[in-house]
Amino acid sequence: MAQSAIEVPPKGGFNFDLCVRNDMLTKKGVQLPSYRKTGTTIVGLVYKDGVVLGADTRATEGPIVCDKNCEKIHYMAPNIYCCGAGTAADTEAVTDMVSSQLNLHRYATGRQSRVVTALTLLKTHLFSYQGHVSAALVLGGVDVTGPHLHTIYPHGSTDSLPYATMGSGSLAAMAMFESQYREGMTREEGIHLVSEAIRSGIFNDLGSGSNVDVCVITKDKTEYLRNHMLPNPRTYVSTRGFSFAKGQTEVLSTKIKQLRERVVEVAVEGADAMEE
Amino acid sequence: MENNSKQAIAHEIGGVNDALRFGLNGVKSDIVGVHPLQSTFESTKMSQAEMKKRALAMTYGSAFPLKMDLDSRMLARFQRPPGAVSSSMLGLEAVNGSLDDFGFEDFHCLNDPQESETYRPADMHHGMEVRLGLSSGPVCPSFI
Repeated sequence: MAQSAIEVPPKGGFNFDLCVRNDMLTKKGVQLPSYRKTGTTIVGLVYKDGVVLGADTRATEGPIVCDKNCEKIHYMAPNIYCCGAGTAADTEAVTDMVSSQLNLHRYATGRQSRVVTALTLLKTHLFSYQGHVSAALVLGGVDVTGPHLHTIYPHGSTDSLPYATMGSGSLAAMAMFESQYREGMTREEGIHLVSEAIRSGIFNDLGSGSNVDVCVITKDKTEYLRNHMLPNPRTYVSTRGFSFAKGQTEVLSTKIKQLRERVVEVAVEGADAMEE
Repeated sequence: MENNSKQAIAHEIGGVNDALRFGLNGVKSDIVGVHPLQSTFESTKMSQAEMKKRALAMTYGSAFPLKMDLDSRMLARFQRPPGAVSSSMLGLEAVNGSLDDFGFEDFHCLNDPQESETYRPADMHHGMEVRLGLSSGPVCPSFI
C-alpha cells in the first residue's frame, strides 16, 4: 500500500520558494534590504474589575515616522484585546489570524472565548516560526475565570503578570508601574496610570510618540478609548486657514515652447483603397 | 562550467532548472533547505499528526486511529474530476480537524494556487486518466 497516499488538491499557504533565489543573489553580492528599526510602547494592567491596555500611536521605519496615528491595540474577541509591538504587518496578521480562529472556536462551542485559548494559539504560532514572526504582544482580557494579562515574546515564551510592558519604551513605562501600581485600583486610577506609563514612553523613548490609546475590558463591557490623550497636537495649524498673496513664489525663469503641428495631410488616390 | 552540469538537472517533472526563478540547483539545498526554518516547518506537521495518532491510540485503543485513517483515505478519494473547480475536500477537513483551523492559506488567500501567475487549468480527460492509472505523468505538466 505504498502508493495509497492520494493526491489532494494543493492549498497554498506558506512557502519558501524565493529563499533559494534570495540566497543565490546574496552569494552573488546583491545587498538585500535590511530590516527597519521599529519602536513602540505598549502596556497593560489588571485593576479591580478588569484589565486596562494602553499603546502609543507612532509607527516608525528606521529614522522615519511613517504613521503618526496608527492603531496598536488589536481586536481578538469581544472580551479579549491584544497590543502589538514589533513589525506592524506581523502583529496585525498574527492577531487577525488568531482572532478568526477564536471566532471559529466560538461558533463550535457557543461560549465566550477564554484568554488562555488565545494565549496558546498565539504562542504555538510564534514558536513554530522560531522568532521569524517578529511580534511582541501584550494580551489582556476578561473571561469566566476573571481578568488575565499576559505578555508574549516573539519566540513564543509567555508571562502572566498583574502589570506588563513591551516594546522599546517598556523600560520607561515599567518605571511608572513599579512606582505607582498597587492591587485593587479603581477604573479611573487604572486608566490614569496606564496613560501616565504611555506618556512616559512617548516622551522618553524616540521610537514611541504621538497619542495615547486605551482599552478598558470589564466582565460585560469593552471600551476602546481611541486617542484618549493627545499630548502632541500639531502646532502649526492655523485656525483661520492660510491665505497667500499672488506672486508669493518668485518666478526664476520662464521658457515658452511653441508646439509645432506635425500632422501632414496626404491626398489618397483612389478612395476605394480604404475599403479592402 | 561546473555549474552548467548542475543546471541540467531537471528541477521539476517536464522541465529543466530555471536559474533565474529558482537559483542554481544544488543537492544540499534540496535536502536541507535554504531557510533555517524550512526543515522544521515541513517536519512539524508530520510529527504532530503522528503524536495525535499515538495519543488517540492510548486513549481509545489502537483500532480508533486505524479507523480514522481509513475514513480519511476514503474521503481523500472523494474528489471532483480535475478541471476548472478544485475539490474543497470538506469531508476530509472535517475528519482531520483542519476545518476548525485557520492558517495562512485562509488568511488573505496567501499563495492560492488558482491565483498564481503560473496557474494552468488541468485537462479533465487527461487528469482522470492519470488518476485511474491509465496514463502517466502529472495531471498538469510543469509550466517551465
